[in-house]
Amino acid sequence: MKQISIKTKVIALAVIAIVVIAGVTMMGRPPALKVATTSSLYDTGLWEYLEPKFEDKYGTKLHIFYAGTGIALEYGKRGDVDAVVIHDKPREEQFVAEGYGVERVPFAYNYFLIVGPSGDRAGIKGLCAEDAFSKLMETGSGDFVCRGDDSGTHAKEKAIWQAAGFGYEAVQQAGAWYIETGRTMGPTLLMANEKNAYTLTDNGTFLAYRSDLDLVPIVETGAVLLNVYSVIAINPERHPETNVEMANDLVYFLISPEIQGLIGNYGVAEYGVPLFMPCAGQEPEE
Amino acid sequence: MRPSSPLIEVARLSHSYGDKEILKGLDLGIARGEVFALIGPTGAGKTTLLRIMDLLEIPSSGEIYFDGQRVPRSGKQRLAIRRRMSFIHQKPQVFNASVYDNVACGLNWRGEARNKIVAKVDCILETVGLEGYKNRNARTLSGGEAQRVALARSLVLQPEVLLLDEPTANLDPVSATKIEELLSTAARQRNTTMIMATHDMSQGQQLADRIGVLLDGRLVQTGNAGDIFRSPQSTEVAHFVGVENIIGGIVIANDEGVATISVGDDHHGIGIQAVSGCPAGQQVYACIRPEDVTLTPMLYQSSARNSFQARVTRVTYLGPLSRVEMDCGFRLIGLVTRISAEELNLQAGHELYATFKATAVHLMERKSRQ
Amino acid sequence: MELIVSFDPEVMEITARTLRIAGTSCLLASLISLPLGSLVHFRRFRGKRVLVNIIQTLFSVPTVVIGLLVFVLLSRTGPLGDLDILFTPAAMVIGQMILITPILLGLTISALSGVGKEVVETATSLGASGFQLALLSLKEARYAVVAALILGFGRAISELGIAMMVGGNIRGFTRVMTTAISLATTKGELELALALGMLLLLLALVINIALNRLQQR
Repeated sequence: MKQISIKTKVIALAVIAIVVIAGVTMMGRPPALKVATTSSLYDTGLWEYLEPKFEDKYGTKLHIFYAGTGIALEYGKRGDVDAVVIHDKPREEQFVAEGYGVERVPFAYNYFLIVGPSGDRAGIKGLCAEDAFSKLMETGSGDFVCRGDDSGTHAKEKAIWQAAGFGYEAVQQAGAWYIETGRTMGPTLLMANEKNAYTLTDNGTFLAYRSDLDLVPIVETGAVLLNVYSVIAINPERHPETNVEMANDLVYFLISPEIQGLIGNYGVAEYGVPLFMPCAGQEPEE
Repeated sequence: MRPSSPLIEVARLSHSYGDKEILKGLDLGIARGEVFALIGPTGAGKTTLLRIMDLLEIPSSGEIYFDGQRVPRSGKQRLAIRRRMSFIHQKPQVFNASVYDNVACGLNWRGEARNKIVAKVDCILETVGLEGYKNRNARTLSGGEAQRVALARSLVLQPEVLLLDEPTANLDPVSATKIEELLSTAARQRNTTMIMATHDMSQGQQLADRIGVLLDGRLVQTGNAGDIFRSPQSTEVAHFVGVENIIGGIVIANDEGVATISVGDDHHGIGIQAVSGCPAGQQVYACIRPEDVTLTPMLYQSSARNSFQARVTRVTYLGPLSRVEMDCGFRLIGLVTRISAEELNLQAGHELYATFKATAVHLMERKSRQ
Repeated sequence: MELIVSFDPEVMEITARTLRIAGTSCLLASLISLPLGSLVHFRRFRGKRVLVNIIQTLFSVPTVVIGLLVFVLLSRTGPLGDLDILFTPAAMVIGQMILITPILLGLTISALSGVGKEVVETATSLGASGFQLALLSLKEARYAVVAALILGFGRAISELGIAMMVGGNIRGFTRVMTTAISLATTKGELELALALGMLLLLLALVINIALNRLQQR
């Protein structure tokens, strides 16, 4: 038989409220370095591999959240993160030039790939990336799935269309063969697979998805496909609250010989080939 | 009209729902310890009056006084006053909780100490005969049991005023009797003031010290049971309290308190005698309760002054009683037991004698409005 | 696959965090909604119907819009940037509270509307104050109230937009089941994603059963 007085109930409610508020307070942030990173880099598992190493070495938590290059840069501009790690050189340079970032430090690179059905319906194998795109555009004989999300990969795709001599708007309106998904790399690859279409992908995500895909690399060399990952610490003059020292620690960590070695070997065990080439703060040779 | 300042009083009370006027200027005072029955047909405004007295509703106009104090139209004081009363609604609404929790809730809300609550609830459950039902969910009870829970829930508060809206209307006769007994015990033992709305005349008669007749939003007559049932002050009241014979006529003579009234279409030939001070020349209604009419096969000489030869026009059976419509030059209705009806071989067309005493005739002035 | 899901410490940790965050938001939202809903239901005031309509419209706000809103509020350059709680569980709790408070509020009001007028009047007659009346009505409507809580909790554990936008899906800190599922999907670990999805449903089932037990007492 419940015979609880109202007073008891009020007290019980107050206790619950206090516990909850205490709980929420504890959900606040421990000191940590906040880094926004491009999803293609995260999806390869590289960050999960490096994160504990950084935390051990510097005795600080590393909070990494993945986002498209666009939103990662936005976080950086607002001062919500201490550093960004992305792969879109023109926008990175603009970001630094506008005073949001301290310096652009390249630390690894690989190549984008044009992947497609093994039958290569459009017959673009052996061409360079620009010519392959030209052929797709002129013949319309192969479907192409595009990220369409302003990510670094999407920016690269636009740059290739540009290099091939087409305005991007003309490409978007070229016909039903050009499909924009607005999704991240993984789902885009799956869609290309379903549609037997071509797409531009970073090496890491493609390898991670390869077992689920019938797609094969069609074009994988050429200077234009170069994909450089850089780390940029947020400018403390813009956002004094950000933790520039820890951000600098991260920069030095990434270009340190020990970590560079680890990056250069990352993925060998699983895929037989490295996913990244280290470049220790230098712009890789094209 | 304030005899020894009543416990609860309404003055010039009117209330409307939209365009519909429910109460039309009521004045009523009820003394501490009084049991007051409010009778009247459905829709007369009984429930509305009780709701206003329980401060559940704010009247369109008029005032309520409780224990000599004017009740404000809003504010905390209303809750304090309401907590001195308790209202048992017509359909018992038990809460979806155990019988114990149902009965304890009012005490809980008044902040009573827990051990006192337990004792009081146990005691009242025993009084209403539900001691074994403590842990049952009240929603699983029968109508009569639920009504007893509702009663216990109100009585346990030992209210100064108990308001009851048709407390037995939805119950079988056995349960109804049980509830009536509980109520009269409560009234006697605790001197609880009770105001009960009912359309059950006998209930009003049995339990009440005083009866008020509410007709169409007006309190048309108040008085003790004898006054109301024997001496209604208007034809409407007379009709409502079961006076079936209301015979229009004129007093043609008054001889030392015995009036002779000429009735019938031609106003002569038939005379009814009544004990009344009504002077000659007065237009009146003669009211005779049907159960005061006796029927005999032959004319007996008796103290009753009114005896008429009558022809039965119609007989209807009302349970143990038979209602006999007769023509004695005027229309007269009598009520006899089923057995008498059989002995008299009552049927339409049969001739017999109808007799009633002069004291059984109540004269009511007829306003000359025709 | 099921074994991996069942015993992997990281999955367990993500599950615990998911429950903690959604539970906290649900609790806080009900601490706001139950009293406020009672107030709205029992008070008579102008524009009540409009208010209820607005509350019900807010049922449909997409989580990603709330995520964006909370992000802009809590971002360093936003009005509440000084709190420094963006990308923390606290920020997720705030977002989820904004998501489910209208639902709990609206459903509390409709639950109370289901309590008979006669019950309310009986309680008033028995001397219940406004607060006591509200408490009793909530008790009378407990089935509907618990259903509302279940719905609110379900919405909180299943939403992705807020968790992603203001939590940031930080491993070991703000990663919850939905963001983990989303991540597993982008990484191409479709089986893991599906397994996590099933685990989420299983949790919802367990909690529904627990709450239903509670209300049947």
